[in-house]
Amino acid sequence: MDVDVLIVGAGPAGIVSSIELAKRGLKVVVIDEYYKPGGRLLGQLYEDPNLPKENNLWDGKVIASKLTEEAVALGVTILCETTAWKIEEQFIVYITDTTVKEIHTKAIILATGAIEKALPVKGWTKVGAISVGAAQTFTNLHNVKVGSNVVFVGIDPLSISVALEMKHAGINVLGMFLPAPSMLVSEKSNPKITLETLALASNLAPNKLFRIFGKFVKGKISNLVLSMLKFNLIKINGIPIYLRKAVTEINGKRKVESVTIKKLSVKGQINRDQEKTLYVNTVCLSGGLLPLVDSSQLVNCEMVDIPKLGGIVPLHNQFLKTTIDGVYVAGNITGIEGAKVAMAQGKLAALSLLYDLQLVEQDEVIEAFESVEVARIESPLQFYPEIKIGRQIMKDKWEEFQGVRGVVN
Amino acid sequence: MKRKEIPYKDLKSDKVSFIFNDITVTGVRGQPIAVALMSNGIYTIRHCEVTGEPRGIYCGIGHCYECRATVNGIPSKRTCLTLIEEGMIVSSDTDISYGAE
Repeated sequence: MDVDVLIVGAGPAGIVSSIELAKRGLKVVVIDEYYKPGGRLLGQLYEDPNLPKENNLWDGKVIASKLTEEAVALGVTILCETTAWKIEEQFIVYITDTTVKEIHTKAIILATGAIEKALPVKGWTKVGAISVGAAQTFTNLHNVKVGSNVVFVGIDPLSISVALEMKHAGINVLGMFLPAPSMLVSEKSNPKITLETLALASNLAPNKLFRIFGKFVKGKISNLVLSMLKFNLIKINGIPIYLRKAVTEINGKRKVESVTIKKLSVKGQINRDQEKTLYVNTVCLSGGLLPLVDSSQLVNCEMVDIPKLGGIVPLHNQFLKTTIDGVYVAGNITGIEGAKVAMAQGKLAALSLLYDLQLVEQDEVIEAFESVEVARIESPLQFYPEIKIGRQIMKDKWEEFQGVRGVVN
Repeated sequence: MKRKEIPYKDLKSDKVSFIFNDITVTGVRGQPIAVALMSNGIYTIRHCEVTGEPRGIYCGIGHCYECRATVNGIPSKRTCLTLIEEGMIVSSDTDISYGAE
C-alpha cells in the first residue's frame, strides 16, 4: 500500500490528524491495535465544567464515532487490529495485517498514546484485580459491571473520575486507598504528594466538594492539614477517600475476596499495629500513565527523559516534529494530558507536516499551536501537575540538540 | 452524569453463542470474548503456566496479555480484543511453545 502519510494510533490525536491531512487531499492510512477506532476516548464519560450546562456531557464514544465518520468520509483508510512492528527508512512500515503487509509512506505521525503503569501491590495478579483503565473501558464502553463491591488503590484524578463513573453505573464503591509503600510505588503512597496532585483536578465535575478541596489545597498545605485528614473523612459524591490508609495486600484463594488495610502516617509510613479487612470482589489499581513510545524508538527518534511530562518521550519541537525528518508526534506520546489537548496536537502535527510540504501557510500552523495552549487551559483533567514546565524543558532540550547538531554539521 | 441505554436495538437477533471450556456462553454481537464472559459471571480466563494460579482481565485493552486464551485453535489470542462469533471455540488451554522454532 502506498500512501502520503501513515498515522499510528486511531485515538483523538491520530484521527484529528487524519482529518486535517485528508482535507488537503493527502492519502492517509491510520492503523490501530484495538478492534475499533477512538482510542481511550471510547471509555470517557463525564460532565465537563467548561461546556454549557445544558449540554455538558463529554461522551467520548460519541465523539470518537463522529470523528471516525468524518475521517472515513474524507477518504481516510483506518486499519484496526493492526500493529506496526518494523519501520525502515523513508519509510516502509511493516504491519501485522494479513492482506496489507507493508505500507510505503512519505511521512509518519506517531499518535500511540499512553500505557498504564503497573501498581504491584501484594496479590495484584489475582482474578478481580484490574487496572483502572480496564475498569473504565468495561464500565463505559462495554456496559459490564466489573464487580459488585469495589475498592480503588491509587488516588489520582483519573481513578477518582473512574470511581465516580462506576458508582453511577450502580457499582458499590467502598472507598479509595493509597497503595502500601514500597520501592516501586513510593510517590503513590505519600498522602501529601497525593493531595497536591488532586488539587489539580479541582475543576473536575460534578462535585462541588472536589472543587472546594482543590482550592484549599492550592493554598498552603501543611502537615497539620494532613493530620486532620486522619479524623475527617473526605467523601466525593459519597465515595470515601482515605488519604491516610493503604491497601497492603489483596487476599483471596481463587479470586479477590478481601483487602488488608493499614493506617499511614503523614509521611506515608505504615502503622503496623492496626489492620482491618475489607470484603470486596474487585480491586481497581491506578498506577498512573506512561507515554507509549516504542514506535518512536523503531524509527530511531532521539529520546529524552522528562518526568514532568510522564517519562521518556521522543524529542520534538513546539510544532511536534521529531529529530527524524518526516516523523511527527501528537497526543500522549509527547506527554500525559487529556483528550482535548491530544485533539489539538493532532491538528498541529498535521499542519506542521503540511507546512513542510508547502501546502499551508505559516500562520495556520501558528494558529494550531495556539489552539493547543487553549485546549490545555480548558482541560477538565490534568494528570501531571507541572506539565507546562515539562513542555518548556522539552523546548530547551530541542534547542540544545539543534545547537549540537549545528556544530556537527 | 447521565448514562445511556445499551445501544442494541434488537437484543434477540444480536445474540451470539460460543463455547468456553465446554460451556455454551451467550453474548451480544460486538462484544469481545472477555466482556461476554464477564457478563456471564466468568472472571477466570486461564491459569498461569508456571504457578497454576487463575488469571483474568487486567488491563482490558490488549497490552498485558493476561486474558489470553486459545480461540478456534489459535493460542494466545487476547480475549479483550477478540470479538465473539457464533460457534467460536474458546479454551483456557495454552501452549506457550506455539510458534517457537
